[in-house]
Amino acid sequence: MKFSIQRESILKPLQTITGVVERRQTLPVLSNLLLSVGNEGLSMTTTDLEVEMVARVSLEGAEAGDITLPARKLVDICKALPEGAQIDIVYDEEKERATIKSGRSRFNLTTLPVSEFPNIEEVKGVFEFEVPQKVLKQLIDKTAFAMAQQDVRYYLNGLLLEVDSGMIRTVATDGHRLAVCEHEANVSPGEKIQVILPRKGVMELARLLSEGDEPVKVMVGNNHLSVVLEEYSFTSKLIDGKFPDYQRVIPRDSDKDVTADHELLRQALVRTSILSNEKYRGIRLRLQDGLIQAQANNPEMEEAEEEIEVQYTGPRLEIGFNVSYLLEALNVIDTPNVKLALGDANSSCVMRPEGQSACTYVIMPMRL
Amino acid sequence: MNIRPSDTPRDACPVHWPRAIILLDMNAFFAAIEQRDNPAWRGRPLAITNGAQGTCVITCSYEARAWGVKTGMRLREARRLCPELIQCPARPYRYAAVSTAIMQALTAITPDVEVFSVDEAFLDVTRCQRLHGTPVRMARRAQRLVHETSGLLCSVGVSGDKTTAKYAAKLDKPNGFTVIPPWEARDRLRDVPVTELCGVNRGIGRFLAEHGVHTCGDMARLPISVLARRFGNPGRRIWYMAQGADPEKLQLGVAAPKSVGHGKVVPPGTRDCQTLLVYLEHMAEKVAARLRRHRLQASHFFIGLRLPAGWLGDKPRTSLPTDDSAQIMALCRHFLSTVWRGEPVAQIQVTALNPRPANTQLDLFQYADERRQRVNAAQDAVNERYGEFTLAPARLLNRSSMPNVISPAWKPSGHRKTV
Repeated sequence: MKFSIQRESILKPLQTITGVVERRQTLPVLSNLLLSVGNEGLSMTTTDLEVEMVARVSLEGAEAGDITLPARKLVDICKALPEGAQIDIVYDEEKERATIKSGRSRFNLTTLPVSEFPNIEEVKGVFEFEVPQKVLKQLIDKTAFAMAQQDVRYYLNGLLLEVDSGMIRTVATDGHRLAVCEHEANVSPGEKIQVILPRKGVMELARLLSEGDEPVKVMVGNNHLSVVLEEYSFTSKLIDGKFPDYQRVIPRDSDKDVTADHELLRQALVRTSILSNEKYRGIRLRLQDGLIQAQANNPEMEEAEEEIEVQYTGPRLEIGFNVSYLLEALNVIDTPNVKLALGDANSSCVMRPEGQSACTYVIMPMRL
Repeated sequence: MNIRPSDTPRDACPVHWPRAIILLDMNAFFAAIEQRDNPAWRGRPLAITNGAQGTCVITCSYEARAWGVKTGMRLREARRLCPELIQCPARPYRYAAVSTAIMQALTAITPDVEVFSVDEAFLDVTRCQRLHGTPVRMARRAQRLVHETSGLLCSVGVSGDKTTAKYAAKLDKPNGFTVIPPWEARDRLRDVPVTELCGVNRGIGRFLAEHGVHTCGDMARLPISVLARRFGNPGRRIWYMAQGADPEKLQLGVAAPKSVGHGKVVPPGTRDCQTLLVYLEHMAEKVAARLRRHRLQASHFFIGLRLPAGWLGDKPRTSLPTDDSAQIMALCRHFLSTVWRGEPVAQIQVTALNPRPANTQLDLFQYADERRQRVNAAQDAVNERYGEFTLAPARLLNRSSMPNVISPAWKPSGHRKTV
């Protein structure tokens, strides 16, 4: 195998796919990436057995062949070479070593047999749809923050992707808060799927997608999900589990409706949070006509108080929250105003961007 | 310079100390309590052991110490040195009660009392000098108070910082009284080996010796940054400590727990699963009851078995934070059946990691089991009134009869108030 490529043509795709490679490996070949040169050009593959990413780059005048190379070292070398450098990669079959040459630089890298490189099985039982790249990115970005991390309820350590009644929907929850976001999709209204994409796959997919309008193809199999872009493919195993009935926990009967200036509320909460307990992040909200008072104190007995003008008339309410949960939801809302719906001190708070029904955030209170 | 209780010029001289710290160290605390409660033992060599079966000397009276008996010695060896040695099983609840009474009495002098251990307390009297007089006078009063409250003797050290006060108290035992005024501290420590200071262990001592620091006086020649690089902030503290200027404040109150755990030694080489389950359930009950007593819950636990090769442990999680022994026991059972391969066990441990205030964050999908909570509350009420394990799972009828041991980290209030 032999090919020659411009530094800039290989660096970005390399960096995009090497996030999958874990720093510590039990299987040595997993720290390598697979380079295949064929008629369609160069394809580079990384995997951690759960997520697989492929980047495709066109080549001219290359000699076909497959090798695996240490992924991080290859990225570091390409990154450290000067801008505009021409990079030549040659594989010496006898010595089982690859040489990278550029200008007066020369690197010899070890390889591992291509046969050892694990192949994630083809996506079977496929349901396919197309969606603009930026829509999928938005759906992920607006919900993924609410996923659980290392929860015993393993099905919460991922993102629910749902297609139902012509809508595509993402849902994430860690049991304390919930984020739901939906968008119309080009699917027949009868189609229904529900799959859970694991946390790491969600993070890598979000990194891969951009704000472009071009469509991406999503393929959902029984055990896998694939997203195919022009230059990249992404495949992830799915979490085999039943996601909780999230519709049941979105309250419909909250009687206290509040409208607040999004940025005003967010900034006030950011300031108040400075003096909340660093570990538990508790904050007390007192709702009254036209006003929310936010108050926090820490074990050193320091105290912060903020008053936020809001549109509200109705009974008073005092309720506690983990301020991080409020802020993380506010951070992904991009409308000038935000709507809150509250019940009593033991019931969840619903937060929505004003004038949009696409996204819903539910946050359970804390007893302070 | 030792000052015996009497009015000396230093008592009379009303010099305001910039900082004034008193350390009271009870003399042979457990043994002294036993001798006080049991007049026949007064003036005789006495060794405290853990229960009647205990083979290790927890502490001993001054009469026994005169024969060369020391804490940590095997009873057999102690008997060889001192054939008349009386063995006395420890009564941890009694010691804890006496300690609590003493600590309570000391708050008459200052509210700033740090219970350093069951038999040691620091008093910060810096801000009481106008009220009560000189630090020396207050120290005398504290020593008297301890005697009036408990009938026991203690050694007292008075200085301007914790380390020097502790060093001073060590100089004269029993019933000693040593004053090192803060302005003399640096000189008085000059020729003292650094390892004599509380908190400078052998490892740190070796590091200091490699850098030419053997006595406290050598420390000034070592740049503070050398210690800071190796040991961080504790290293910086040691640099000041050696110069009679330990900046450490008294630790008032009990810091929030980082973990709540109990462990026990099992019969050597235990391989029987049922026996281990009894021991694990015993510890799970203790951990859960203690979590509930302090309104804490945890969702992350450590379960460990000490094998000949070292600890075999796991850190399982529950989906919701819990204070219920049944849930902890479920983790233990799962641990035994999946991780343990039947190796001989010497000791077991059950610990709740990162406990947090109970019932704070509500969950969207799961609710706490209120029935279990009511059962636990009823069990706690019974045990509070009639004693630990009056009401307990039936399996605990077979629990170890080894008595509870008072921990060195015992405190008269908060989650450390446990035996």
